[in-house]
Amino acid sequence: MKTIKDLKNHIASKVKERKAEKKKARVVISAGTCGQARGSLKVEQALREEVQKQGVEQKVEIKLSGCHGFCEAEPNLVIQPEGIFYQKLKPEDAAAIVSETLLGNRVVERLLYTDRDTKEKAVNEEDIPYYKKQLPLLLGSNSLIDPTSIDDYFSLGGYSGFLKVLDKMAPEEVIKEVKKSGLRGRGGAGFPAGYKWEFCKKAKGDVRYIVCNADEGDPGAYMDRSLLEGNPHAVIEGMLIGAYAMGGYEGWIYVRHEYPLAVKHVNIALEQARDRGLLGENILGSGFSFDIKLATGAGAFVCGEETALLASIEGRRGMPRQRPPFPVRKGLWGKPTNINNVETWANVPLIIKNGAGWFARIGTEGSKGTKIFSLVGKIRNTGLVEVPMGITLREIVYDIGGGIPDDGKFKAIQTGGPSGGCIPESLLDLPVDYDSLAQAGSIMGSGGMIVMDERTCMVDVARYFLNFLQDESCGKCLSCRKGIQKMLEIVTDITEGKATMEDLATLQELAEVVKDTTLCGLGQTAPNPVLATLRYFRDEYLDHVNKKKCEAAVCKELISSPCQHTCPIDTEAAVYIGLIAGGRYEEALEVIKKDNPFASVLARVCNHPCETRCRAGEGGEPIKIRNLKRFITDWGLNKGLKLKAEPAAKNGKGKVGIIGSGPAGLTCAFYLAQEGYEVTVFEKHPVAGGMLAVGVPEFRLPRDILKADIDYIKSAGVEIRTGCAVGKDLTMDDLSAQGYKAIFVATGAHKSLTLGVPGEEAQGVLPGMRVLTAINLGERIEIGKRVGVIGGGNSAVDAARAVLRTGMPESVTIFYRRTINEMPAYKEEVDASLEEGIKIEYLTAPKAVVAKDGKLSACEFIRMEMGAVDESGRRRPVPIEGSEFAVELDTLIVAIGEQPDASFAGKVWGLEFSRRGTLVVDSETLVSDRKEIFAGGDLVTGSNTVVDAVAAGKIAAESIDQFLSGEPVKREYRLTRPSRYVQPVELGEEELPKAEPPSMPHLPVAERKHNFKEVELGLTEEMAVREARRCLRCDLETQDGKDFLEKLKQDSAVAQEVMDA
Amino acid sequence: MPNIRIDGIDFEAEEGWTVLEVARILGLDIPTLCYDEGLSAWGGCRLCVVEIGEGDDTRLASSCTYPVQEGLVVRTASKRVVRARQVLMELLLASCPTSKVIQDLAAKMGVQRTRFKADWEDCVYCGLCVRICEEQMMAKAIGFADRGGKLKITTPFDKTSDVCRTCGGCIYICPACQLRCEGSDPSEVVCGRCYNAVQPTCLDHYEDYKCYMGLKGDCGTCITEKPEKETSVKIKK
Repeated sequence: MKTIKDLKNHIASKVKERKAEKKKARVVISAGTCGQARGSLKVEQALREEVQKQGVEQKVEIKLSGCHGFCEAEPNLVIQPEGIFYQKLKPEDAAAIVSETLLGNRVVERLLYTDRDTKEKAVNEEDIPYYKKQLPLLLGSNSLIDPTSIDDYFSLGGYSGFLKVLDKMAPEEVIKEVKKSGLRGRGGAGFPAGYKWEFCKKAKGDVRYIVCNADEGDPGAYMDRSLLEGNPHAVIEGMLIGAYAMGGYEGWIYVRHEYPLAVKHVNIALEQARDRGLLGENILGSGFSFDIKLATGAGAFVCGEETALLASIEGRRGMPRQRPPFPVRKGLWGKPTNINNVETWANVPLIIKNGAGWFARIGTEGSKGTKIFSLVGKIRNTGLVEVPMGITLREIVYDIGGGIPDDGKFKAIQTGGPSGGCIPESLLDLPVDYDSLAQAGSIMGSGGMIVMDERTCMVDVARYFLNFLQDESCGKCLSCRKGIQKMLEIVTDITEGKATMEDLATLQELAEVVKDTTLCGLGQTAPNPVLATLRYFRDEYLDHVNKKKCEAAVCKELISSPCQHTCPIDTEAAVYIGLIAGGRYEEALEVIKKDNPFASVLARVCNHPCETRCRAGEGGEPIKIRNLKRFITDWGLNKGLKLKAEPAAKNGKGKVGIIGSGPAGLTCAFYLAQEGYEVTVFEKHPVAGGMLAVGVPEFRLPRDILKADIDYIKSAGVEIRTGCAVGKDLTMDDLSAQGYKAIFVATGAHKSLTLGVPGEEAQGVLPGMRVLTAINLGERIEIGKRVGVIGGGNSAVDAARAVLRTGMPESVTIFYRRTINEMPAYKEEVDASLEEGIKIEYLTAPKAVVAKDGKLSACEFIRMEMGAVDESGRRRPVPIEGSEFAVELDTLIVAIGEQPDASFAGKVWGLEFSRRGTLVVDSETLVSDRKEIFAGGDLVTGSNTVVDAVAAGKIAAESIDQFLSGEPVKREYRLTRPSRYVQPVELGEEELPKAEPPSMPHLPVAERKHNFKEVELGLTEEMAVREARRCLRCDLETQDGKDFLEKLKQDSAVAQEVMDA
Repeated sequence: MPNIRIDGIDFEAEEGWTVLEVARILGLDIPTLCYDEGLSAWGGCRLCVVEIGEGDDTRLASSCTYPVQEGLVVRTASKRVVRARQVLMELLLASCPTSKVIQDLAAKMGVQRTRFKADWEDCVYCGLCVRICEEQMMAKAIGFADRGGKLKITTPFDKTSDVCRTCGGCIYICPACQLRCEGSDPSEVVCGRCYNAVQPTCLDHYEDYKCYMGLKGDCGTCITEKPEKETSVKIKK
């Protein structure tokens, strides 16, 4: 092409050709670096072979394109002209694609994208939720063209922007147009591009350089790579337009050598542009000369900083220098230089082609156009997303990203790569633009977005990014090099539980100084991860420092093993699992009993928080820790081991009275007795055990098991007076008079909440707790034929299963207002109840109770649907108007939750109660407003788990001991550590693939449905050992653990030597 | 010729001067470590940061590399500047506690301790040696290599240099490897005796200061800074 007219004609002919071609089938395969890594080239090969085999080469064109953005769905392809999108392809799919779709014009259903929630299949890209909210002005071209073909680019009207400026616009007009568009630099800082161009143009000098910054280095960010790989000519055209506007003499594209495909495609594109006369001397006879060179960087993160980048092009060490003078005045080899990022350059042709006004209409007041983000981390739809500026983070995370995988809970999103900041859930409605992000303490950066969920520790996140930046600091500035090192040192100390509050203050001060005093952007933004996490997640830092607690169970040196750390009573699960794996059951029993007087009970009814963070559960099934515990406690009971505790000698420090014999009260009693106190427990019911005795039905917790644990507690010297209600049979004054120096109140939460719907007082409507208590204590209770239970928690399911077993009802139905996914009851219990023939109506809420002659006849319900995601990140159920329906019932059990019934205590004792009826105590020490009265368990927390009640009992025992010993009452926190280490077992090769958890054997439905026999039968020895061997033994990953392994190795070496000798 | 305002003083500077040069002419004291009049400015130690700008829109920048510009407003000793310098000084102390140059600088700035763990390094990476070698000795025998924690100053590819004339310029100018402070525990306390020229008690016993001559803590002077810490120091008779 020699003249401007040639170019014009050529573009027009190519555009026309493309339109004509629309009739021909064209398969475009996503083949960016990531697509190739997932096997897109194999799919291509298979398709080509298939096309050849079926002899349809003439009818079908197969093309490789750049990345289509949807990484989650790689390898994928689009079939034009219909725009059919096939995803997650394998080479074997080629035959179906060719014969069904290309020849038969039929869609292959199984290759389509299926929505996880609605199960709807999407034929075209636009129908997929991931693409729906996107505005792919730049990335959209990727799926239309072959990046190695300049004619493909022409066919989309490529280079017509350059044609326009060359043909019709003066350089000043071009700059004016870019200024008017409001385009801001996409590299991170967001400087208005047009103004930068103007400065460069006005700077004194004969030579001007135009540079494209393609040194993309943020972990998890790859939008620039995708543009260069998929559409290099857009960047070249942008640079040509810029060079024309500014009077550029030479252009440079600085790209990292880790991007070989981008380098290859850019080189091909430059060659083609030169061939067509678009680069070089006197371009198209216009008198304007410009050429572009490519420089590959060695991969230092700091070379993304403009002055360091220029130094690197010049062949010097990539170290930033002071600005001013800015590169627009003194840049490459001291000449005026304009640097823009890949994405900025790629936007320029669009602005020129469509006009500044068109561009300025997209986005927000201060941030125009679209921005590409790489959405990664704990998110369902990983990939590149191009969205208009001003879209909210919530839309990106939930609508485009599809939310958090495994129904996890969103915690934070890191924008702007390692030197960006974490934005918490409360700011999810923040519009994404330069200024809003900066205000929130983060940056746009080049567009990396890392999503984190509740399994992410924010202190660990700060540590991770500091570690990256420490290695990438060029080392010039003391503040950056040493400052980051020292920040990392302090943060590491925090994650290892070695830091103090003073260290936290030092960290904050240092971070601010590093931000303030460092020369370049790297150092100035390096403290952002620290400052942002300190700002939004300070509680996590405080937990680490003061409580040695890592909520996410990530920080190794703090948590030892996640199972032990998450256990409210510090059970050394990893140790006893290790012992089970080695067949050492008696030792395992000792380890369990040491921290848990209710071992046999909890082995059945614990909600096992230990299993929620189990490492084996990441990408697999967590170790069934509770079932293993049950195997050991049952084994102990059968062998008659550890049935009695050693009573301690009396310490003479006084008598302690405990009100309530539930798990909290008896645990407190046990540990105080072990300390040598005289302990008496007062229980209003005729049996001891509190909720365990009256609330949990026998088929889940056999009475002899409960009795075994209570006998164990009694054997430590605890006296239990049943049938003695404090407040009625005995007053507080009586207790003082009888010499009780301290009181622990743990009366639990036994009052069922009411529905708050009309007609509730009708006869036949029963509170769930009353039903359970009556059945458990063998009292008479009237149950009708048709029973409804309202609620979705354990007490609802327990009540349903218990009444079923009385043999009185003909049908039992549970009504729950959300879906099975949200049900708080244990999943295994829900499954078992379904097996037993209990029906569950989901998305159903009660509206009114219908009574006849004061007696229940039916309940009116309304259907619900899961509505929008609320602040908690969960979908809220909303009623569907007009969906009311009535169900005829004889008995309606209301089990929607319990609260404490502490009316007996209030005024008499002068204690403070909350509006929920719970007793207010110091959450650390459990001491009430009166220094001699302590309280814990459900009475304080509201309805809660058994293990939390046991934990409260332990804490109270410690506080009471301190109080009665005359010490200051203060909770002590320690690092989580096992008391001993156990040699790990090695899994055999054939064992590894079969490493699946055994399922708990159940009593057959017919044998259990009409009696109260225990449903779960317990693991067999073989099952338990097999399961225990699966444990990853995280406890051995701490320094202590490693030292133990090292010593083990040395010992065995010594033993070997002895043997040899 | 650019007019600038520095600490409230209006000054007409020469084109091409830096803020540091103006400050020194006016007698405004700005601490420096990596700066040397005979070498190009580097801006690495950041000790010479000053506050540039007015009102809410100010920032810190190294004065040794900042060129004067018309209308520039500079504060050399604002609260923000002084606080920042003190933290930087603590970083330097943690890096090379035994450098007498650093100890004296700290004493001058009133920094008496560092809150960071001592690294006992031999180099603060100020780049003075690299610049003297290149700019004064015309040798270019040494330079920076690698980055982050692995940063080092070395000859190309760590090979014995054939352009080094062993002139010793690098050692002459080094603030870290010469004149060691051997006080009782330089990483924990800056005694400041050398800088303040307070007569140490060692002069009661010797002809010279002893603390930097390897006779660690023998005189006992520096110990007085930390009377609460028990030491086993004996004063020689």
